[in-house]
Amino acid sequence: MEPQASRASAAEIDASCRWPVGFLLTKSLGWLLVASCLSVLSSIKLHAPGFLANCSWLTYGRVQPAAWNCFVFGFASQAALGVALWLSARLTGTLLVGARTICVGTVLWNLGITVGLLGILAGDGTGIESLELPAYASPILFAGYLAIASWSIVTGYQRRGEPLFVSQWYLMAAIFAFPWVFSAGHLMGVFFPLRGILQAAVQVWYWQNLFTLWLSFIGLAILFYLLPKLTGVAVPSRPLAVFGLWTMALFGSFGGMYRYLGGPIPAYMVSTGVVGTVLTIVPLLAVAMNLWPVYRSRVQSEESVNVVRFVGFALVSYLVHGLLTVLSSLQAFGRITHFTLLTVAMDQLFLQGFVGMALLGATLYVLPRLFEINWPSLGFTRFYFRCVGGGIALGVIALAAGGIVQGLAMENATIPFFDVVRRYVPFAGTSTLANLVIAFGNFVLCAAVSLQVLLWLAERYVPSVWAWFQPSPVVREAKA
Amino acid sequence: MNYGPLIFLGVFFTVAASWLGVVLGPHLQFGNDGPATTEDTGITYPYARPGQAHQGAEVYRANGCFYCHTRQVRSKEYGSDLERHWGKRRTVARDFLWDQPLMLGTLRLGPDLANIGARETNTHALLLRLYNPRSVMPNSTMPRYPYLFEKRPIKPGQEASPDAVFVDQSSSDRNIEIVPKPEAYQLVAYLQSQKAEAVILEVLPPLPPGGATNVVSPGGTNAAIATPATNAPATNAPSAK
Repeated sequence: MEPQASRASAAEIDASCRWPVGFLLTKSLGWLLVASCLSVLSSIKLHAPGFLANCSWLTYGRVQPAAWNCFVFGFASQAALGVALWLSARLTGTLLVGARTICVGTVLWNLGITVGLLGILAGDGTGIESLELPAYASPILFAGYLAIASWSIVTGYQRRGEPLFVSQWYLMAAIFAFPWVFSAGHLMGVFFPLRGILQAAVQVWYWQNLFTLWLSFIGLAILFYLLPKLTGVAVPSRPLAVFGLWTMALFGSFGGMYRYLGGPIPAYMVSTGVVGTVLTIVPLLAVAMNLWPVYRSRVQSEESVNVVRFVGFALVSYLVHGLLTVLSSLQAFGRITHFTLLTVAMDQLFLQGFVGMALLGATLYVLPRLFEINWPSLGFTRFYFRCVGGGIALGVIALAAGGIVQGLAMENATIPFFDVVRRYVPFAGTSTLANLVIAFGNFVLCAAVSLQVLLWLAERYVPSVWAWFQPSPVVREAKA
Repeated sequence: MNYGPLIFLGVFFTVAASWLGVVLGPHLQFGNDGPATTEDTGITYPYARPGQAHQGAEVYRANGCFYCHTRQVRSKEYGSDLERHWGKRRTVARDFLWDQPLMLGTLRLGPDLANIGARETNTHALLLRLYNPRSVMPNSTMPRYPYLFEKRPIKPGQEASPDAVFVDQSSSDRNIEIVPKPEAYQLVAYLQSQKAEAVILEVLPPLPPGGATNVVSPGGTNAAIATPATNAPATNAPSAK
């Protein structure tokens, strides 16, 4: 493809992204709502086990992985793909190409998720945490991914030869990493499983790289794009950001094995994981040094206030999660917190607090531009942010506190296990409350977005459709 | 400058490095580990799982039991698992040689199940626990699994099935019994096969005076067993003789 000579205008780019990116983003919001409803269901079951117990499809061991996969693949990865396409068009200043293939890919991706979730709920989950998608669903997702993400590379390639922005580095690394990680994980975990304990190694490798190289890099790409954009302050050091990217890719991808601290795994494997995790403090500092000053110097324009809260929440969650991960990989701390609700809290902080909030901020920034609507209002985003941000904070704090209480009780062998259960149950109850608040917020968001998109469609297409049913001038004349 | 190929190669090699270090390296090292036979007793460990327990693993997987129960006992430096009598020794890689999928679990909302088969030998008690956990433990958060059981009316004059876990004969006209489906029996068989307690080379219990267990590998050489399948110090190997 010939390099395009000049940068296209922002409005032209947004118009070229309207259907493919709009499709991805609205679909992802739908899955976000489904995921938050499933989370409510699964957290209710943690303290009211009799709730809907007669239905095998809704037992905790199926609803919980369904909620996780729905969030990670239905919402987060899908929104990430949408935002990635838009960002790569905007950052290179070119029109998005391949809109039709992207739409076909989106249909495939959503088909894969629907089939996968129904499979998990029907009891076909693979039995490997975070690799639950059945063997008949993951290839559909993979095909969908290739049909969508390739165009982000092609779009960027039209204007090769320009220096890359920091967020492009992260974006391209994530786009290249996902197919590698997804296919290797599913091949060695599900299709041709390794023997015995090595399955744990595959699982942890996949889990860690999906989180680090795919989700966190997309999240960081959004932070590195939106924060400077909203505040008007440049990222202090580009080399530091690139250094942070590569060190995170290297150390982070080794880091997952700490999840089996003390487990039936050769000790050197766990040690490698701990070393990798502890070293991620370096890229964490690099991100903090680059983005914290930008975030602190925020400009108070209405739109930037709208979005900056989400992005700021994501940044803080990212840093806190990184520090907690380093802490819990150490034996002194991990001895207490291992196997407790604190690990659930950390996953929620990462998935909802960091990735989810960054993607929601980006969605609220991108969607109005795609459809050229003046939305959302300051009041609406404030309300939505309070629901979701408050819910996430409440849930994470409750689960973290519950995890520490549970861990301390488990550590003391004189406390019988049913007493341990009695101690963590109130915290699980609080997390149900938090999930309810989040689900309510997401419901309001989905309703508002659907309304806006429908209004936009009506305004744009109703007159022309209406015209089809009007008698043509020739007929009218003939009647007269 | 054109960074595309650089990023592609960089990502490729970093991911390949961790794949090599975390998955492929360990696979080359002990991916072909086999069962080991204890010379004194002639018992080969890990035991092959009986057919019904094998089917039970599928029930365990389908219902996601491993989201709340671990099947790994840690040594005393890592937690109170041994003090809680969840096992006589820590679990090691060899215990899970036949597990497919592995289902170790990473969260303990319920107790560890690595040795549930050694702790609970009563089939009926386990069935009852699946049907209604709160009947056994009042504040349990474990879900009920009524769909693994069949609710059958007892015809007048007919005896309740001996397999029933629960019989309701409160009303005279319509009596009901709860009978386990095959899945419930399979799951219980699987649970009862959970006995990661055999004495093996990797984790030796404190030696009783004068008694030691001699372990040989399927190849028959003692040297082969010394492959570091776990982090047991190599110095333990000679002491086993």
